[in-house]
Amino acid sequence: MEIFMQSLVSGLLIGGLYAIIGIGMTLIMGVLKIINLAHGQIMMVGMYITWTLWYFLGIDPYLSIIITVPIVFYLGDGISRFLLHPLIEKDSILPENQVLMTVGIGMVLVELARFIFTSDYRSVQTSYNAKSVYIAGISLNYPLIIAFFAAIVLTGGMFFVLMKTDLGRSIRATAQDSDAATLMGISSKRITILTYSIGSALVATAGIFLLPIYYLYPDFGPAFTVKAFVITILGGLGSTVGAIAGGIVLGIAETFGATYISMGYRDAVGLVIFLLVLVFLPGGLKRFTKI
Amino acid sequence: MKKIKIILLLLAFGFVALSLNSCGKSETGPIKIGVLLPLTGHQANFGSMEKNSYELARAKINAAGGIDGRQLEFVYEDDTGKPDVGRAGAEKLINVNKVPMISGGYSSSVTFAAAAVAQQYRTPFLVNTGSVDKITQPEAFNLTVNDGAKFYIYRLNPPVSEYASGLEGLLANVIKPATVYIIHENTTFGTKGAKAFQKSSEKLGIEVLNVESYSSGTVDFKPILLNAQKANPDMVYMISYVMDASMLMKQAREIKFYPKLFVGAGAGFTMPAFKDNAGKASEGVISATLWHQTLPIPGAKEYYDEYVKKYGGDGPDYHGAEAYSAAMVVADVLKRCKGDYEKETIKKALDATDMMTVFGPVKFQSYGKKIHQNKMETYVVQWIDGTLKLIWPKDLANADVVYPIDWEKIWAE
Repeated sequence: MEIFMQSLVSGLLIGGLYAIIGIGMTLIMGVLKIINLAHGQIMMVGMYITWTLWYFLGIDPYLSIIITVPIVFYLGDGISRFLLHPLIEKDSILPENQVLMTVGIGMVLVELARFIFTSDYRSVQTSYNAKSVYIAGISLNYPLIIAFFAAIVLTGGMFFVLMKTDLGRSIRATAQDSDAATLMGISSKRITILTYSIGSALVATAGIFLLPIYYLYPDFGPAFTVKAFVITILGGLGSTVGAIAGGIVLGIAETFGATYISMGYRDAVGLVIFLLVLVFLPGGLKRFTKI
Repeated sequence: MKKIKIILLLLAFGFVALSLNSCGKSETGPIKIGVLLPLTGHQANFGSMEKNSYELARAKINAAGGIDGRQLEFVYEDDTGKPDVGRAGAEKLINVNKVPMISGGYSSSVTFAAAAVAQQYRTPFLVNTGSVDKITQPEAFNLTVNDGAKFYIYRLNPPVSEYASGLEGLLANVIKPATVYIIHENTTFGTKGAKAFQKSSEKLGIEVLNVESYSSGTVDFKPILLNAQKANPDMVYMISYVMDASMLMKQAREIKFYPKLFVGAGAGFTMPAFKDNAGKASEGVISATLWHQTLPIPGAKEYYDEYVKKYGGDGPDYHGAEAYSAAMVVADVLKRCKGDYEKETIKKALDATDMMTVFGPVKFQSYGKKIHQNKMETYVVQWIDGTLKLIWPKDLANADVVYPIDWEKIWAE
């Protein structure tokens, strides 16, 4: 029973982290209608900035959010303004090619990171890194708890922005029908660029919460791009609430698979669920959450 | 007049071209040897340590006059840690770079794939790290142990089944655990290593409670560790690369999992990066190893110091020593070729190798199902007060084994 509870809690906490990774991806997919295959790599960039700040200036990883997130936001702005938007504007360029562009961007980011930081593994060592609280024999790792609550706050915040603000309505309008949105006076260019920047900033935030738990190296991104993609499909394209549900479902499923089937099949469990959702629940969990 | 000028010019070009051409053939240019290593991808950390060591050795060889007056040059090919890329890399080295010999080979699965290519093109391949047993077993290449003349693979490092031979001594004589829980990465190296240790356990009378695998890069190892904790083993034996090793130890500390001892099977557990990333949780961990800088091997300490001086950091572990020694073997072999750097001559010279390296004596032998295999001892190290100490065999050790271990105390903040 203890193992069951520990797995459930572990899965829930990991799921919270997955959710933050997924939200950025789902937003970009909803508005730009492309799979951002540089997603994990942008997260890697954010993590390297955080690591540099910690290593050289001794800035606490969580505190560095106020520096890292704006930098990555403008990186996303630059990427979408100068590299992606020119391709989206031209009807003659197929959407597949925009996706290929993100693959290229991802590769450049990885090689740049390798050039600057070499292939060595990096991790941050803080006083709370390996600290846990123990409730009824279940260990709860501090950084994971923080990440989980950050996920709730971020999704809540994103949800509020999307539902209640002018900007959010513009983003939703563009996602639903960009021509109609343009007719209503929304600059679809501005919204696409902004969405990509917000998506990048969100995944950088996810990276900051992941760094104290995990480690970092240049080729770290692709595995998390795949995770983000699975979460997005699970949750339903473009749905923020769906993304958090998708992240948690994936986290719990993986952890239970690892505990009760075999750790070696952990990723397989996630991908099997992915396939089942595609076959039996096209549209993902969005069908239940409705938003 | 103009015509003559043109003819003269053409002649001049012709001479230049001829002399350039003969330059390549008149054996004064560098001798190129291919090296296959993971320079990018998740094993790049190991690959770059090995590449640094190759370069260190090359500088030394060339400063000492090179190979019969010619410079030695290594052509590196990145295998990214993937067998298919490694295969293509080996083919490129043989067919495009036209190297007469390949060295390197990091991960077991990549090395085995590349070995098949080397064997196909009859190109000598000196493996220095890839450790799965079948690499030097001719039957894996549809040959028999009597086909030494047709078998082009040579291996400097011991196979994975022998990694734990030193450890067996320590377990049998000092620690005597009754039960073991084996955790391994689900790759060729991990699976074969786990099988080999199961055999060792049988021999030593240790009961294997369970064998669990995981895929590299996992964020949360708690499920596997919790199952292990519930089984309550005397020792946990782990076969992992460096970052998984750090994560395993960090999370074991987190869930207060205190078996009598944690033992790593080399690979990640001896790397400086293991200590850097696992922090306190690396304390007290025991690992099998193939090399340690304090071993009484001539040149071992010098190599270690030179590496630290040139590249900084915490210095190399056995992977670096393997690479450095492989480069030295390559130089020795080429010197004995006496100017004839053809594949068959190199192979004959490899057969006759009998030299001392910083990694220990190198001589390619046949035993059991293997041929062209260098046979050597393995050792046991332990992380004591933040440094890696050699604890077994007893006569070579520079520290006493810390046992029994009070995890609560040494893992405290």
